[in-house]
Amino acid sequence: MAKHIWLCLLFTILCSTVESVFEDQVGKFDWRQQYVGKVRFSHFDNHMQSSRKVLLATEKNVFAALNIRTGELLWRHVDNIGPEGNIDAFLQHGQDAVLVVGNGRLLRSWETNVGGMNWEVVLDSGSFQSACLVGQQDTVKYVAVLKKTAVSLHYLSNGHQKWIENLPESDTVDYQTVYSGGNGEVYALGVVPHSHITVVAYSVEDGEIIKQITVEAPWLNNIPANCAVIGKGMLTCVDSVTMSLYMYDLHVQSRMTQILLQSLGLEVSANFQPVLVATQPNPARTPLSEFLLQLGPDHYQLLQLNNGQIVTLRDIKPAMLVSFATAGEKTVAAVMSPKNKTACSLNLFSAETGRRLLDTTLIYNMDPNGGKPDKLYVQAFLKKDDSVGYRVLVQTEDHTLTFVQQPGRVMWTREEALSDVVTMEMVDLPLTGTQAELEGEFGKKADGLMSMVLKRLSSQLILLQAWVSHLWKLFYDARKPRSQVKNDVTIENLSRDEFNLQKMMVMVTASGKLFGIDSKTGSILWRYYLDNIPSNAAFKLMVQRTTAHFPHPPQCTLLIKDKDSGLATLHVFNPIFGKKSHLTPPALPQPILQSLVLPLMDQDYAKVLLLVDDQYKVSAFPSTKNVLQQLQEVATSIFFYLVDSSQGRLSGYRLRTDLSTELIWEVVIPPEVQRIVSVKGKRPNEHVHSQGRVMGDRSVLYKYLNPNLLALVTESTDLHQERSFIGVLLIDGVTGRIIHEAVQRKAKGPVHVVHSENWVVYEYWSTKSRRNEFSVIELYEGMELYNSTVFSSLDRPHAPQVLQQSYIFPSSISTMEATLTEKGITSRHLLIGLPSGGILSLPKMFLDPRRPEIVSEQSREENLIPYSPELLIRTEWFINYNQSVSRVRGIYTAPSGLESTCLVVAYGLDIYQTHVYPSKQFDVLKDDYDYMLISSVLFALFFATMISKRLAEVKLLNRAWR
Amino acid sequence: MMLGERTPLLWVFVQAAIVVASCFTDIETGPSAGVSTLPNGDRFKIEGRAIVPGVKTQDWVSSARVLVEGEEYVGFMRTDGSFTVNDIPSGSYVVEIVTPAYKFEPVRVDITSKGKMRARVVNYIKTSEVIRLPYPLQVRASGAHVYFMKRETWGWTDFLMNPMVMMMVLPLLIIVLLPKVVNTNDPEMRKEMEQSMNMLNPNPELPDVSELMTKLFSGSKGSSKAGSSSSKGTRPAVKRR
Repeated sequence: MAKHIWLCLLFTILCSTVESVFEDQVGKFDWRQQYVGKVRFSHFDNHMQSSRKVLLATEKNVFAALNIRTGELLWRHVDNIGPEGNIDAFLQHGQDAVLVVGNGRLLRSWETNVGGMNWEVVLDSGSFQSACLVGQQDTVKYVAVLKKTAVSLHYLSNGHQKWIENLPESDTVDYQTVYSGGNGEVYALGVVPHSHITVVAYSVEDGEIIKQITVEAPWLNNIPANCAVIGKGMLTCVDSVTMSLYMYDLHVQSRMTQILLQSLGLEVSANFQPVLVATQPNPARTPLSEFLLQLGPDHYQLLQLNNGQIVTLRDIKPAMLVSFATAGEKTVAAVMSPKNKTACSLNLFSAETGRRLLDTTLIYNMDPNGGKPDKLYVQAFLKKDDSVGYRVLVQTEDHTLTFVQQPGRVMWTREEALSDVVTMEMVDLPLTGTQAELEGEFGKKADGLMSMVLKRLSSQLILLQAWVSHLWKLFYDARKPRSQVKNDVTIENLSRDEFNLQKMMVMVTASGKLFGIDSKTGSILWRYYLDNIPSNAAFKLMVQRTTAHFPHPPQCTLLIKDKDSGLATLHVFNPIFGKKSHLTPPALPQPILQSLVLPLMDQDYAKVLLLVDDQYKVSAFPSTKNVLQQLQEVATSIFFYLVDSSQGRLSGYRLRTDLSTELIWEVVIPPEVQRIVSVKGKRPNEHVHSQGRVMGDRSVLYKYLNPNLLALVTESTDLHQERSFIGVLLIDGVTGRIIHEAVQRKAKGPVHVVHSENWVVYEYWSTKSRRNEFSVIELYEGMELYNSTVFSSLDRPHAPQVLQQSYIFPSSISTMEATLTEKGITSRHLLIGLPSGGILSLPKMFLDPRRPEIVSEQSREENLIPYSPELLIRTEWFINYNQSVSRVRGIYTAPSGLESTCLVVAYGLDIYQTHVYPSKQFDVLKDDYDYMLISSVLFALFFATMISKRLAEVKLLNRAWR
Repeated sequence: MMLGERTPLLWVFVQAAIVVASCFTDIETGPSAGVSTLPNGDRFKIEGRAIVPGVKTQDWVSSARVLVEGEEYVGFMRTDGSFTVNDIPSGSYVVEIVTPAYKFEPVRVDITSKGKMRARVVNYIKTSEVIRLPYPLQVRASGAHVYFMKRETWGWTDFLMNPMVMMMVLPLLIIVLLPKVVNTNDPEMRKEMEQSMNMLNPNPELPDVSELMTKLFSGSKGSSKAGSSSSKGTRPAVKRR
């Protein structure tokens, strides 16, 4: 019993010593940025005058509401990633937003004020085509959903199905659009390509087919692209071959009338498919009889249907983007046209007359480091004098959202490219001028005592000067009111802080936009848009030169590789300023298989980057004479490996002195049984402080610290729950020797692996017990070290001792990473991204294969926690407290100048940056250090000694008198 | 303790001049393991209601999600706190309601291939154990999440109750009070005390630190000790007079 109590006590002590966040630290060194992704559909919430939100449905399967004044998220709903969460359509009516999700699988209605769901219904299977709101007598009551084979009508209030009807001849007719003009009928429009259009009209009341018409249209194959309903049910199509408009009245059965564009005086640009843009401001009423016809990439024509005749209202050219917007009863067309190279101007045109509205010009300044405008969403509103005012939301090619107000004031911008960060690095900030001067003093060669003394004095003087100016600034700022003092971080005043806690985060996004973000505040300091990035590109970011080599600028290289062709390009840039380097990277005509950064440096202190192409030839960047010479010297000790997951082959190569390569080993994993999922080496910047562990009996168990060790994870191709397995192979990357092999039966992926020091931690799903499990493998050399000065893979005769232990984890995980500190003295934690949005900091101590089942005196001496099968998730261990991070994709850890502190960035849909202290802040005074107490105690002691001294004197005097 | 190793090992760690760079692999590490979707297998729905006592539903539903087996299936909360997760094939799932503010216990839901539903307590260790829960699910929040540690606040009671302070204060009291109670000048008493001190010392072979110290500073300390003892001795004498 006593033992049990002791165990509990030990456990609670251990738990309480583990770091966590204090409430007053909130926001002190951490920040979160929430994103939604590239916008697919957007609606302004216009149903109330006071309403201030814009609703966005995005390609990341996110549905969110933004505050229109600030651009901040009001609420956000993150659906499943992949096709089952895909948002197909977004209809808005009043405060209800109706979404069709998952290729027409679900129909969902959201209450936009609260952000809660009204209802969700499952639709019958069948691929989704189109959806529209259906109204009657000026009120919108229903939603019509058109599928491949059926059309259904649902109540807007509760989602219940009013009726569902099969579409006639759905095997031949391709139904594409559903339309309702508010007259009690729902039209399903289908086409038999190159033959005819089928129009089926249903009664809203009971779904009965009122009429079914086929119209000859041999030129048509896609209704949404070419046709629109205009005015009182006039189906209008444009044909690019005959250059004519075809019109057909849905109410009157007749033939299609053809109007040649030429007869209207219109001309289509060469090789351009004209597009019709119509607008239906109120779904319970017919669409407007005005519409836009796009005749060329930058040429639009505003047309009107007047008594069956087409009237041209206005020729709009040049126009990049055009959009309709409605305020009250007035509908306007907003037109964006290029002004000069860096700016665009927007103007409003009255849809009814085509006249340009006065005082409606808005200037939109384009970011020179951004993309071109891509989409335009217009919020129109009536001003007090009944004129139309507007604001626009512009989306650019690089997924930036900018909300602009007249006459061109940017209210907010959102960099939605950051919702898809692929890879990142943290780069030290440069030193300030004075710091660099000081550093320079030590760097230079000593030249005589006197000059050294003088130098010392001068640099001391510079420091004094800097300090005085700092004090002066403090004093000056103190006189100003608080609000005016801004500590804005700009690129100019960036400098490294005392403990190197502030760094530059270089983030690479899938859209090809690069960002430089200040890690302290999260403000974006530079952005650079790389256009013409292939859509399936893989990125690898490498730091070739850090800021440590002062006169030389820091240098990062981004390798962009097309996954299909394997062809790659290099982008070399300065990570602090984001500017493209003047260095011309080598052209890479061959597909690249592998890239490696060597610790070798050229005469300008840039690390050498080796690129291996598909002919197994190696090229170096930079490839100066100096570099090639160095390479020749060390070529025999450069090894690398290649992975071919399709053939299940892992092969090791050696570099020859003539920069050709030589295959030295190969491990083949039969791809029909298992496939390679990931290969993880150790991080090159990792330090291990202690080479062994002190046991309870004071002997030392030495760690097996092989820097060349690779952890290879395989999953079985057989996914049956009885036969599936995962395998972990530990392979020496130089010799190809298999150090250890572990197989987990009745387990399947996804497998998350962390490989560091002398341990590998992996997580998998146990199909037998239906739970997530962690397993840890630790490697030890034993009680004696073979060669303590240097580790060589070629000379290690003894196989390491392998210890393994597994644990149950009560949640699935999204990603996993280990903390990293400067010298590796601090104990390690695992940072685990959970689907709930928390980032758990789990001490590695809990994943220790030496955790004993029976507690002994020795294990107690070693501070080993007794084995318990289940790992706990304690919310106190969440480093991001309630700042949930959605869909964490990766966690990046970087050491800081303080040994106790590790910088952490979690990225996914959101970005979260914080500091963690795995062993608490042992090297700096804590935040809550009580200066008052310590000084008051000091003073009290001082006075106490004074008083007691006086008393003692008096006493001595008294005694002397006696 | 937290630093893992107690003895600093001053080993010079020289890494072999061999570089194995990380690979530029085309391997997807994401959750690509195919969930075998049955082509015409029946799909079912999990229904339930979540309650946060004392909090209006509008205040928390917008940030809540229902996660079925991690993020494999996702559901959302209705404005009244009820939820439905649609489109789930038969199987056994852990259903969790996730909000940043409130804590809900996860529930395991078993769906047979015929669509019979059963809810039970999640037990990862004894996975076959069945403790039934009501279905449709009724999940009640068990309070707010605790994310923060309490700062150690400083108070007089904490200070006084501190073991270190206790250890300092008690001997002080003994030093002050003991001479008044027992006469230390008595040689018999002294002998007895020395014996009891030896009893307290667990390891007689180890040199006692205090003894060492007294030996070292015996020359200087001796006089002061004598002085102090004499002063202590005189005080009662004064009173007696």
